[in-house]
Amino acid sequence: MPFTKFANLDFDQLRTSIKDYLRANSDFTDFDFEGSNFSILIDTLAYNSYITAFNSNMIVNESFLDSATLRENVVALARNIGYVPRSRTAAKGQVSFDINLGSVDPQTSTVTLMKGLVCTGNSSNTSYTYSVPNDISTSVIKNSDDDYIASFNNVDIHEGTFLSKTFNVDTSLNQKFILDNSYVDTSTISVFISGPSETGLGLEYSLVDNILNVNSTSEIYLLQEIQDEKYELFFGDGLIGKKLENGTKITVFYIVTDGKEGNGASSFSFAGSIQKGSSITLLDETVSSTDAVTVVTNQSSQNGTDIEPISSIKYYAPRIYSSQYRAVTSRDYEAIIKKIYPETDSVAVVGGEEMDPPEFGKVSISIKPKNGTYVSEFAKSRILSQLKQYSISGIDQKIEDLKILYVEIDSSVYYNYAQISTIESLKTKVVKSLTEYSDSVDLNKFGGRFKYSKIQQVIDNTDNAITSNITRVRVRRDLKAAINQYAQYKLCFGNQFHVTTKGYNIKSTGFTISGEEDTVYLTDTPNSDAKTGIVSIVKPVSDGTTRVIVSSAGTVNYMKGEVELGTVNITSTVSPNNIIEIQAYPESNDVIGLQNLYLHFSISKSTINMVRDVISSGDEISGIVFSRDYYTSSYSNGDLIRK
Amino acid sequence: MAIKRISRSYKDISLSFEPHPVTKDLGVIKNANAIVRSVRNIVETIPTERPFNSVLGSNVRDSLFDFVDFGTASDIQDQIIVAIENFEPRVDNVVVEVEPSSDENAFEVTVIFDIIGQEFPTQEYTFLLEATR
Repeated sequence: MPFTKFANLDFDQLRTSIKDYLRANSDFTDFDFEGSNFSILIDTLAYNSYITAFNSNMIVNESFLDSATLRENVVALARNIGYVPRSRTAAKGQVSFDINLGSVDPQTSTVTLMKGLVCTGNSSNTSYTYSVPNDISTSVIKNSDDDYIASFNNVDIHEGTFLSKTFNVDTSLNQKFILDNSYVDTSTISVFISGPSETGLGLEYSLVDNILNVNSTSEIYLLQEIQDEKYELFFGDGLIGKKLENGTKITVFYIVTDGKEGNGASSFSFAGSIQKGSSITLLDETVSSTDAVTVVTNQSSQNGTDIEPISSIKYYAPRIYSSQYRAVTSRDYEAIIKKIYPETDSVAVVGGEEMDPPEFGKVSISIKPKNGTYVSEFAKSRILSQLKQYSISGIDQKIEDLKILYVEIDSSVYYNYAQISTIESLKTKVVKSLTEYSDSVDLNKFGGRFKYSKIQQVIDNTDNAITSNITRVRVRRDLKAAINQYAQYKLCFGNQFHVTTKGYNIKSTGFTISGEEDTVYLTDTPNSDAKTGIVSIVKPVSDGTTRVIVSSAGTVNYMKGEVELGTVNITSTVSPNNIIEIQAYPESNDVIGLQNLYLHFSISKSTINMVRDVISSGDEISGIVFSRDYYTSSYSNGDLIRK
Repeated sequence: MAIKRISRSYKDISLSFEPHPVTKDLGVIKNANAIVRSVRNIVETIPTERPFNSVLGSNVRDSLFDFVDFGTASDIQDQIIVAIENFEPRVDNVVVEVEPSSDENAFEVTVIFDIIGQEFPTQEYTFLLEATR
């Protein structure tokens, strides 16, 4: 190794290079022997060089956002480009409850639910506390039993412990305003400033994440993550934001949360405190035990998340920076939606000009949440209203429900039975390796691509016993039927269909329509050009033929991969949740998720047939038995019904 | 086991770092002295003490708090022989004698060896091993 190689991180190579140097330049000889004094000195020197090299390597790594590994450094580097990582988010639920104040007039028209602990709830056999970050007042009314009742309706509760912290400003010091707890949900932080001569909490200051529209009197504060996932507050300097005077009192309220652990609690018991007037806790006086309050759950706790992981900070910090808080390109939307709706798993944004037909001035957004498949209406309206402040005026955003394009496979896996223990265990291994593959970056996302050759490789490489596989690919979409309503339906698959002229290219699960008792199915008849076709509603009859119920129920465009149903009244479906599964065979075995179609590899609905490979196992050599009993077609089976 | 090497002369630095009385140069130890010093270094190094060479050394220090008797002495003797054979390739025909000295709570170790490839007589070196803490 040349002695000029400075960045060496291997102790042995460092020591060798020192010895090489001495061998050429010294009249000492003993450094080659481990026991010698010289060897001790060389070891010490090499060790020292090693530590120095390691440290400088670490320092350089930790200096760049791409290579930093310690959270503290990643956060600090992201801070340089104006990115505040997401904090833990408390799981939120909604409850309603009545407080019975007894039959004696409580001498007040309103009572207040004090901020802080409200109730406790259980999730995964662990008890969690739920708090409100602000006082909530309600009026006292007399009910029909002459009892005085205070009804608290639709109270939003946050999982976690409500805490407060007070700072006294001393401008002679280099003071830092640090919240001592890790795991703070920063969205629950409220900051009150009371001047030196004032009493009480004072004025509430608001959080800003940039200094647009901030002047020397703006009552604002900024937030920053520091070591150990704690947060530091910053106040104005008299130029940007109002400066704090000496003797000012800062009161900060916040909730420390368990993050996603608090999700899923559905029953709550009351543990809050109620006040009338200044400081009388009515609950203790009039309600004998907290059990007397029945808490009705309107919404079980959900949407709790952990603090933003390092990988996410590294991914989003540069994107947020490049979007400059403006939603212009689809990448901007991806970064900004993730920021305002942390539950986002994947986002697809399609500009109106790319739609068919084009809708200029529109932006269609599809969001796949981390848990589940649909974004609630409440969340949608919240996202849209927050998105307005980033987007270009004149652009109309619309959040569309997720359209999932399922890819299924029907695979015949040939195995050499001499190399397996049981067929079932081999099949389980195939399913397991497919499941692992489905977690890969190509699948289960917007704009994903199902790669046929990769799937075949995955199956073949699962076990040495697998000799080959013949795999057919299907695409499926679920039609959500409007039961007992006349409705039209359109399903876009975004992939060209494979057409056979005799039909049966489109298959569905069963359903019933008004005016027909039996279960019916969808099927298709291609037109002479084999580019479009007619969709019919048919039912199978006992002699193996089919009877047409509605001959022209809709159309199919094989080239675009679109199925349209004319007005039809569906009364029930065979599949649960009013779903009709509609499948087709794609012209290309590689399936793409076009525009806002979310590509999902559905292993549960895929079929894995294990077939004995009699040629490889040596049972026969001529192939006669194989082609008679173990033959698998690579094409569709021509059945009417989707199974 | 390390490869046995044959060399013409051995020259090592002295860890006392005392300057030569005349030349004021760094102290140098040669040949037999260098090897004796090396043997002693190996015996007194505790395994894992050397960076990235966790096996170098001998465990004699572990035995120094045992009873000062012939059993322990035999144990120490074996450990020293193994250590020298493993890490000091310049010597051969190693004989180690360990005498327990119970009054001083120490062991007197005598190492006798031949230097490979040098016209030196058989070397004999004695040092005292005692518990120092």
